[in-house]
Amino acid sequence: MSEILFEASGLVRRLGGRRVIDGIDLRLERGQGYVMSGDNGSGKTTLLRILAGLEAADTGMLRFQGGQTLLPRYPDAWRWRAVYVHQHPYLFHTSVAANIAYGLKARGERREQWRRKVEEAIDWAGVRDVISVPPQKLSGGERQRVAMARAKVLEPRLLLLDEPTANLDADGRRRTIALLARLCAEGVTVVTACHDREIIELPDVRRFHLEGGKLLPLD
Amino acid sequence: MDLLEPTREAFALLLRGDPELLRIIWLSLWLSLMSIALISPPSIALGVLLAKLRFPGQRVLIVLVQALLSFPTVVIGLVIYLLLSRRGPLGSFELLFSPTAIVIGYMVIAFPILVVFTVSAVQGADPRAFETARSLGAGRVRASLTTLWEVRFGIAAAVVNAFGRVISEVGCAIMVGGNIAGLTRNMPTAIALETSKGDFAQGIALGVVLMAVALGINIVMALLQGEGGLK
Repeated sequence: MSEILFEASGLVRRLGGRRVIDGIDLRLERGQGYVMSGDNGSGKTTLLRILAGLEAADTGMLRFQGGQTLLPRYPDAWRWRAVYVHQHPYLFHTSVAANIAYGLKARGERREQWRRKVEEAIDWAGVRDVISVPPQKLSGGERQRVAMARAKVLEPRLLLLDEPTANLDADGRRRTIALLARLCAEGVTVVTACHDREIIELPDVRRFHLEGGKLLPLD
Repeated sequence: MDLLEPTREAFALLLRGDPELLRIIWLSLWLSLMSIALISPPSIALGVLLAKLRFPGQRVLIVLVQALLSFPTVVIGLVIYLLLSRRGPLGSFELLFSPTAIVIGYMVIAFPILVVFTVSAVQGADPRAFETARSLGAGRVRASLTTLWEVRFGIAAAVVNAFGRVISEVGCAIMVGGNIAGLTRNMPTAIALETSKGDFAQGIALGVVLMAVALGINIVMALLQGEGGLK
C-alpha cells in the first residue's frame, strides 16, 4: 500500500446554518492525483481551502507528514508544502518572474538558488514568451499557468487546484490540462476540484464526488 | 480691466527668473514637501491599522477622521494659532508666524486625507493577495506587507493628493504664517496679497506656477491610477 501523505478526519464546516462539509474523512497517498467533482456550491472550494489552511473548519483534525493539528489551528510550516491555487489566480503587481519567485523568497532561499528554479519553472509552464508582459495583462490561461508554476516551484507535497480550467479558452484549457497531467506524472500529490470532463477522465487519477457535504469515491 | 499687460508681465517675471518669485515658489514647495514627508508615515500606518484591525469604536474613529476632511482650513489655522500664540499652551516655543507653524498646519490638513485614502486603499485590496501570499508560505507580517505593496498606487495617490491640497492652501498659512515676505510668504498667500494690492503680474505668475503644479499632480495621479489598474 502507498504511503499516506495527508489525512483529514471529521471535518465539519457550517456556513449559514448549513453543513457544507459534513464529517469528511480523507486520506491522500503520496504521488497520487485526485479529482473532486461536485455541483456549484457543493463545498469543493471550501474543502480545498480548509486543507490549505486558508479557511477554518469548525471541527476536525489534519495529519500531514508525521505532524497533526486540531483545527482551526494550522501550522505555518505546512503552508508551502500544501499550496492552494485559486480558480482565478491572483498575480502580484510585479513581473511574472517575481511572481514565480515569491514563495521561494518567502522561505528564505538564496538568490542563485531561486533564480535557477524560477528559470526552470518558466520553461515548465511554457510562459517564457510572456515573461516581460505585466501579469495583469496576461490571458486567463497564461495567468493560470504562471500560478501553477509559482506553486510548483515550491515543490509542494500537496497541490490543491480549484477549477483550473474554468473560463479558459480552448488553447488555455488544453495547455493547463497538459500541465496538470505532467504534475500527476511527476509524482506530485494533486487534488483538483473541477467540472471539466477531460480532467475527470485523466488516467491514473482517483475520483471523488462531493455532495450534501459528503465525499463519495467514484472509483 | 486690461488683463493682457499684467499677463505679459507675469510671463516676463517667470522667464527672467525673478528672485522674489523664485523664493516664494521654493518656499511653497519646500514647506509642502516637508509637511507631507513628516506626516505621511504615521498617517499611512494609522490608516493601515484602521483598515485591518477590528476593535470597538473603529467605525466611529474612521468617521471622525473623515469628518476632519471637511474642516475649513481657516478653522484649523485658528486652532493652531491659539495653541501657538504667546498665551497659548505651546506659546513658549515661539513658533507662531514661522515656517514651522505653516508645516504644522499643513500636517494637520494632510493627516485626514492620508488616513482616509489609505483606509480606502487597504480595504479595497483584493483579499486573494493576502491569501495567495499565505498559501505560498509567507508569514502574517510578510503577507500583510505584500498586500500593502499591492495597494501602493492607492497610497501614493493619497500622498500626491495631500500634497496638492497643502500647496494650494491659503487660509491656515495666512493665519499661522502671517504672510511675512521672505519668511512665510508662499504662493497662495502671495497671490492673495498681490491681488489685493492691485499687482496682478506677480499674482498671475504665481497662479500659472500653481496651476502647473496642479496639472502635474493630476498627471501623476492619472499615471498612478493607471498603474494600479484603477482605470
